[in-house]
This record gives sequence, C-alpha cells and structure tokens, in this order.
Amino acid sequence: MPSITINGTPCSFTPGQTILQVANAAGIDIPQYCYHDGLSIVASCRICLAEVWAPNPKTGQVEPQMGGKLQPTCQTPAAEGMVVYTDSPKAVANQKAVMEYLLINHPLDCPVCDQAGECLLQDYSYEYGRGVSRFEEQKVKQPKKDLGPHVLLYSDRCIMCTRCVRFTREVTGTGELMVAGRGNKEEIDVFPGVPLDNDLSANVIDLCPVGALLDKDFLFSQRVWFLKSTPSIDPLTASGDNIFIEHNQGQVYRIKPRTNPAANRWWITDEVRYGWKFVHGDHRLASPMVRQYGTLVGCDYARAYEAAVEGLQKAAAGGKKVALLVSPMIACEEAYLLASLVKAIDPEAVLGVGPVPVRGRDRIYPEGADESHPRSFKMYAEKAPNARGVRRVLASFGPVLEYADVLRTLGAGSGRSDAGAVLVTGNYPDAAWAGDELTGALAGKFVVLIDTLTSAAMGEADVVLPSATWAEKDGTFESARGHLQAFERAIPPVGLAKSEGQIALDLRAELDRAPARVSGADLMVVNTTPGQVAAAVEVAPPRSKAYAAAAVRAEMASRPGLDVFSTGVRTPEQPTAARTDMPIVAL
Amino acid sequence: MAFPPINPNLSGPVLTQRIPGWPYADPKGRHVVSYEEYVKTGGYEGLRKALGMRPDAVTEEVKASMLRGRGGAGFPTGLKWTFLPKVKADESGREEDAGRRYLAINADESEPGTFKDRLLMDFDPHLVLEGIAICCYACRISTAYIFIRGEYHHQAKVLEKAIAEAYANGVFGGKGLLGGASTARGGSWAVDCYVHRGAGAYICGEETALLEGLEGKRGWPRIKPPFPAIKGLFGRPTIINNVETLAHLPSIVSQGSGWFVKQGRASSLAGQMGSHGTKLMGVSGHVNRPGTYELELGITLRQLVEDPALCGGMRKGKKFKGAIAGGISMGVLGPDQFDAEMDFDIGRKYNVLGLGTACPTVFDEDTDMVAVARNIARFFKHESCGQCTPCREGSGWLYQLMTRIEDGQGRTKDLDLALEIATSMGSMPGTTICGLADGNNWAVRTIMNKYRGEFEARVRPTFVPVKVSVGAMARG
Repeated sequence: MPSITINGTPCSFTPGQTILQVANAAGIDIPQYCYHDGLSIVASCRICLAEVWAPNPKTGQVEPQMGGKLQPTCQTPAAEGMVVYTDSPKAVANQKAVMEYLLINHPLDCPVCDQAGECLLQDYSYEYGRGVSRFEEQKVKQPKKDLGPHVLLYSDRCIMCTRCVRFTREVTGTGELMVAGRGNKEEIDVFPGVPLDNDLSANVIDLCPVGALLDKDFLFSQRVWFLKSTPSIDPLTASGDNIFIEHNQGQVYRIKPRTNPAANRWWITDEVRYGWKFVHGDHRLASPMVRQYGTLVGCDYARAYEAAVEGLQKAAAGGKKVALLVSPMIACEEAYLLASLVKAIDPEAVLGVGPVPVRGRDRIYPEGADESHPRSFKMYAEKAPNARGVRRVLASFGPVLEYADVLRTLGAGSGRSDAGAVLVTGNYPDAAWAGDELTGALAGKFVVLIDTLTSAAMGEADVVLPSATWAEKDGTFESARGHLQAFERAIPPVGLAKSEGQIALDLRAELDRAPARVSGADLMVVNTTPGQVAAAVEVAPPRSKAYAAAAVRAEMASRPGLDVFSTGVRTPEQPTAARTDMPIVAL
Repeated sequence: MAFPPINPNLSGPVLTQRIPGWPYADPKGRHVVSYEEYVKTGGYEGLRKALGMRPDAVTEEVKASMLRGRGGAGFPTGLKWTFLPKVKADESGREEDAGRRYLAINADESEPGTFKDRLLMDFDPHLVLEGIAICCYACRISTAYIFIRGEYHHQAKVLEKAIAEAYANGVFGGKGLLGGASTARGGSWAVDCYVHRGAGAYICGEETALLEGLEGKRGWPRIKPPFPAIKGLFGRPTIINNVETLAHLPSIVSQGSGWFVKQGRASSLAGQMGSHGTKLMGVSGHVNRPGTYELELGITLRQLVEDPALCGGMRKGKKFKGAIAGGISMGVLGPDQFDAEMDFDIGRKYNVLGLGTACPTVFDEDTDMVAVARNIARFFKHESCGQCTPCREGSGWLYQLMTRIEDGQGRTKDLDLALEIATSMGSMPGTTICGLADGNNWAVRTIMNKYRGEFEARVRPTFVPVKVSVGAMARG
C-alpha cells in the first residue's frame, strides 16, 4: 500500500484519497470546517492548508510542491512519498489567521449558544487560535431566521462553510438553501415562501460546525455537556438508521445520527429524529391493570401476572388455542421470549405478526435519483423497525401468520374462532394501530395486552401490562436493508413500565411457579372484595431472571434457524478511549 | 524632454486601425465598424488564411508569436491552447472527433481604471469576432460564449448586432465558418457565438468564476485542478481568453508571427518570455489627455504620461506622485518608479504584482494616498465573493482599519496590523482559491510601504504618555 507522511507519522492510503481523508482515518488532527465525508469538496474554509512536499519524478528528491504554496489538504490527493506538514510555521500561521478571521464577525455568545460544547469553532480556537482578539471595529450583525419547521438560523454565528447548502443540493436534491449576498455580508438563506422543509431537513443542524443552524426542538433545553450519548437504532421505520440517543437523568433530549457507511451513512430522517416524543408522552401506560367487573383497574405486577397466566392457561385447558400477536415494534429477543412463553402454555399456539404500518411509498433522495446514485438516501415507507426480525424469530417456532391472517384466525368477519386467549403486544408510537378490526377480533376472548400507550385495544384487554419503549431496553432490530443491529438501553424505564422481554420472563416464572389452575373456581373473584383494589391481596412476586438481550441472543442462537444471532448481529462500536491533551503525571 | 518614437516598429495602429485615436488620428472620427466596412478594410482575411492552415499550425503560429494574454496575468496564449486534450489524427490527416469544447471570451472588464476591451467592443466588434473564429478553428471549438460585464449595456448591444451581421454573412452558423469554406483540416468548421451578460460582479472576471456564471451559478471561483482546459464549462475542455488577446489573432495569422515578435521587446530578465506586440493602454487620472492608446509593450510610464503625442503631461503641471500600473490589484508604482517600462517584466522589476491590464491610473502630488488605499480596500471588500475565509473576513477588516486610519482614529500599531492582515490574507501563497485577495493585499501593501510617511502622519502613537499630576511621579 502506498503511504505518505503527515507531521512525521507515516500513513498508508488507498489511491484517490485526499490528504485530509488519510489524516482523518489515521487519527491525525487537521482542523477542518467545510470538509465533510458525505459532501462535495469546496476547499473554502482554508484552515486545513498544509505545506506539501513531494518527490520530484525526475530526480526523486523530495521538494516543496507548487513552489511552496500552502495547499488545501481536503482537496489535494495523496500521492506516494508525499510529506505533509500542518505544524510548520507557515501552516500554523495560516491556521491562526483563519481562526482570527472567523472570529472577528462571530458573536461571543457561547454562554447562550446551544452548540457550545460541541462547537468546532470553540475547539479549534482553543487549539489553533490566539488568546486575544485584535479586532476593534464594528462586527457585522446579521439576523436570526426561521428557515423551516425544524431549523433556526443564527446568521451572525455562521462561518459560511456551506455544508448545509451543499447538503440540500447534493443529498436531498431539494436545494432550498443558498448563499445570498457577497463578502462578509453574505448569509445563508431560503427563497421567500420556500422553507427548508424536506424529510431530511434537520441534518443540516448536525452538519453545521458552529451554532448557526439550531434545532427548534432542542433549543435552550439542555447544555450538551450534560448529555449522555447511547448508541441505538431507529425504532420507527424499517430503515435501521443508526442513531445516538442523547439523554440526561432518564430524560431523552434529542436523537442524533450515528455514522454507518453501510446503513444510513451520516443522515437520518426527521421522523426518526423527532419520533421519540412518545417516550415521555402523556399517554404512557403507568402501571399494570386488570379488568374487574368490566373495568380496568390498576394493580401490582404480581397480581397482573397471575391473572394473565391464569387466563391464558384456562383458555388452553378449555380446548381453545392461545394466539400471540407480536408487534413489529419490539426486539427479536423479546419476540423469542414471548413465543417461548406462549408455546409453553399452548404448544398449538397461533403465532402472528402485528400490523406493519406503511405510509406512502419508499422515497429516494436526491429527488429524482435512483438507488445507484452515489449519495442516495432511501426513506422507507414501512414504519416498523423489526417486522423482518419478528418473522424470522417466530418462524423458528412454526408457521407465522401475517396480520390479516391472524385477524381471520381470531374470527374477524366470520365470528367463528378456535382461539380463546390472545397475547397482544403494541409498543407503537401512536395509538392508531389498534383499529376496529382488531378490537372486533379480540372481543369475547381473554386478552393480555402489553403496550406502551393507551389505545383502543385496551377496551378489549383483560390484563394490561405497561411496556418499555426501545430507549428503555436492549435488543436487536432487523432492518429492511437486511442488517441485524443491536441497540442499548439509554434510560431506565419510565414509570412502572418493563420491557416486553422482562414481562415475558416474569410471566414464564409465574407459569413455572403456579400449578395449573384448571378448575372452574375463579380465584380472582374469591380473593377480591368488591370495590377494593386487588393490590390489597398479598401475592409473592414471581422470581424471574433479569432480561438481558445479549444472554437471550446466546440462547436463541442454539435454536435451528436462529443461528444468525450468534455472529450476525452488529453491535455498536465501542467509543475509543477519550483523548486527553494533558499528560498523566505519576505523583 | 525628447522621447523615442512611438511604436517604432509599426507604420500604424493594429488593433485600432479602424478606430481613430491619438497619436494617429482624431478620436472624433470613431464609429461602429459594420461588417461591410470591416471586410472592405481587410477584415476576415486572417480567418480565411487560418482556415487554409491546419489547426495545429495556427496554434504553432500563435505560440511562435509569443502572444501573452492581455487579461492581466500575461500567460502565453498558444501554450494555453496546447493544454487542451490532444486530438488524434489518422495517416490521411483525418482527425477524430474532439468532442464538445467551449471558448469563453472574458469581456468582464471590471478592474477599476481599466477600459481597453471596451474600445474594441464599442467600435470594432468584428475584429473580436474574427479572433474568436480563429481561436475556435485552431482549438476545434464549435461554441463560443462572450461573457460581457453586466454594466456594458451598450457594448453588449453592439456585439449582438455584429454577431447577427456575422451570422447573416455566413461567418458563423451551421454551414461553417465563412459560409462553409473548406478548411485544411478537411470539410468546413461551424462555430456558434453567443453573448452572455454578467450580473455585475467583479469576481466573474476570474476565469473559473466566469465559467460558473456562464453555467448560471453563483460566481464563485472553482478550485484548480482540474484546469478549465481539461474540465471547464459544463465539465468540458474550455479555453478562456481575453477580448484583446483574441483581437490580436487576425493580424498575427495574416502577417505572421515574425512580424508580431518584432514589436515590443525581449525580456531583460533571464529566462523570461518577452513582451511582444502592441497593447491597449487606458490611461486615467491626473493627466492632460486620458484615454486609450495602442502602444508597443515596453514604453515607459513617463513617456506615456509626458509625451505630447500621448497623454501630454500631468494635469496643471503638477508633479507625478505615483500610479496604479495596470488595474488596482497589481499594486502601485511609487514616485521613484516613473520610468518603469510597461511590459510583462514590470512585476519583478518594480515590486508590483504584474502588468495587469496595463491601464495606469496616475496620481499627482495632491493625491491623498491614505484615501486611495481606503478606496481600494473598499472595492475589494465589496467585491470579495465570500467563499474563502481569509478574503471574506480579511477584506472587511482591512477596509474598516483603513477607514479608521483615514479618519485619524488609527494608532501606529494599526499600520502593522493592516500590513499583517494583508500578508496573511493574500501574499502568503495559497491562502485563497483565486487571486482577489492577492490583489487586495498587493494594492494596500504597496501603497502602505511606498507612502508609509503619509500613513504615519495620520495615526496617533500607540502609547499615549499619561500625565500624572499627583504623587511621586508628578511632573511639571
């Protein structure tokens, strides 16, 4: 492999890479604003300039290239034997000058700027800038602008790297943003009446190296240094976009894209970015509930588990089948545990996949391009993260029914059904999933509902168990791109919620603990005083294992058809150890 | 003072042979030269001769003439043409198809003080068109775009009318040059020519910004490489030449490169290409007779200003203080550089950036050089395209500093700061994509260095002594 030397460090490269790309890959710091892997190269910020020496093809002598002119490393292709200096006096003088130029018209409002703490201007000012400002003149003042539904522009913080402009031209192809004006009065703007409103619009916020483009949703809500960042997977669409959940003290604040060249690359859609609101929504189910005298009343888990297992067992014992409806919103591991549970109750159980929401059609950006476009980004119409994974897991237990077939089996339309009890999982981000056909099919059966939000399905449920959203648990989703991707728990479950996996394990423990109740005696009624909450009855909670996705995956992998879970799951890359510029001194 | 003869190697003007003007005739006789008049006075003969030569032979002739670009940088024109991808030919001399190529004519004459191309476009547009046709034939180009400065309303109309005439008479159009005349290359060669008006940005005179402008985009210079000869307009090989450069081609082709090389002078510097041919020099400023003169390269600035046949001396007999040599981005000649020769060596010999457009602006002794510097800084601040950080921010800062110094609010340290900004913005090579920051730096820096005293007289010392009236430090 050919190699170049950057600041004394030899780095190998593949032909076609620019010097900056080689340096980035090798972990050598070269300051950069306008350069971005996913966008075209403009070489306009001028801070990455370096002195480049290269061997003279005639003499073989290493000589300064282009007569010692500083060269933009982002644009200069690496060539065998090149020697690059970004720490030479000339290059350092340029870095200092560019930092000074960028700051002369930049307001000193870091204390109220959302970008503070993750701002390249701050980082490079610290590393490459000068300590004091020599600028005594008037700063150019520019307005704040509302660019679109998600994005605010603070023009005076802008350093004109034009990443955002290039993004709307090259990645979305919508071209809403432009540069208006000239010289130091120029600003990013939209045409009047054409807001920055496309499915990927909020990515310009991540692209902005400074605090010029800000997220309306995140505006002034948290200082970024308080946020913890947990790698995760898009929970709302089939695309399997890699994301970071940024949270603090059990509260999600924002979602950021996580770079994955094989999946979403650098971008996520706005629906993924802002789709987490249901996690802290007002309609989260707060506690387990059981139906008493026709009404759902809150109770403790032990009581709910007991009622659930008893109901399911009774149906199985009564010659009826138990049906399991696994929603495509929950993780593979949880589908596995739930299916194991149901099969333990009723070996003849019917397994089906819940409704898979589809909105519109798949859309490919840039507009008008197809998937062969080098910058294409596909937005999936299928709004469920794990339909494929759930099918894959359930298929190892027997035939898998699609949602329509499940409804038919439950007697929708005909009214005749041999299913007596149904275990239904939800976890959809909105309540619309439980339509009339579902409630109609569930009517008259013993229904255990595991869900996160209140929905119409509760009207037919006999036991309701509150479940945790994806942010509150581990698991694996299988995306439409065919990737099995693991995600990690970011925040503890909200309220009394538990993950579907934990609920399945608990129910299993309950099942193993309790002797089969086959008599006609209805213990629940006997034990309950009318008008009093069932929690008054002391029942020892079942002792179960704690749900851990990795352990479940190991167990699943031994099952025929699921061996892919042993090695085929992509786990998030562990962040490399934080770099420190302070030497650790032995005392 | 006796001056050597003007244009010693010529019997009459070349570019301005149909445009009356000093020292040969009275400018009052100027009129737009029509197609008929142009042909009657020997027009399109150069093109006819060129079509009888193989394209490479035309290029060789231009190369041999040592014609250097008249737009400012003085790059050898023939050499530029050879940067185009080579066209292969079989044994019988039949060339393969060269694909789409473009000629972009730089008529975006926006340099302050420069008004030379304007003269040609005003009065003798067919000379330019003939040059375009010759260049297109030599470079196997079939489409030419004249990118004309937005403010040149009248000139655009003249050119458009001339192009219509040329089309009507078969010079351009589908049939081929000169009505489908057969060429030495085999067959005819058809050229289409269009006028594209700019939107009033100085930066669009930079060749790659000009291409962006032609493509309908914002006039931001492109990063090079790739150079336009390889990947230019619409991603195709493109030649960009100045109006005056092209206007030289008809006479070079018809009279031969030897005739052209005799004019002007060889370089006095070792290893440098000479400055040959005539140059249109538009003199403005404090002289008695400002205007555009066609002169052989190498004439001294003193002769240009003081020769009674030319500018006729300084206005009101004032003393010469300095001159912008050729467009403000080239820097300033000081009072001791009045004898500078106007040729392509001027940059190396007199510490300016280069000859530029060779349109001097002359200052007399009453000129406030601080105001000149401030005005120049204002121009560059206004015209910075805003792409590269150093130029975008530096030009604005420099202008504010200059304003403050002119207003008497500056301190000594501001002078050093201004020089430092100019240096880090422009003269450190490679800091910006195009040369606009260089121009800004050279103009301001040469003025500050050559007239340092005037600047120092305007500023207060950095450290103002504090008067202490009480205590042990108290002084009278």
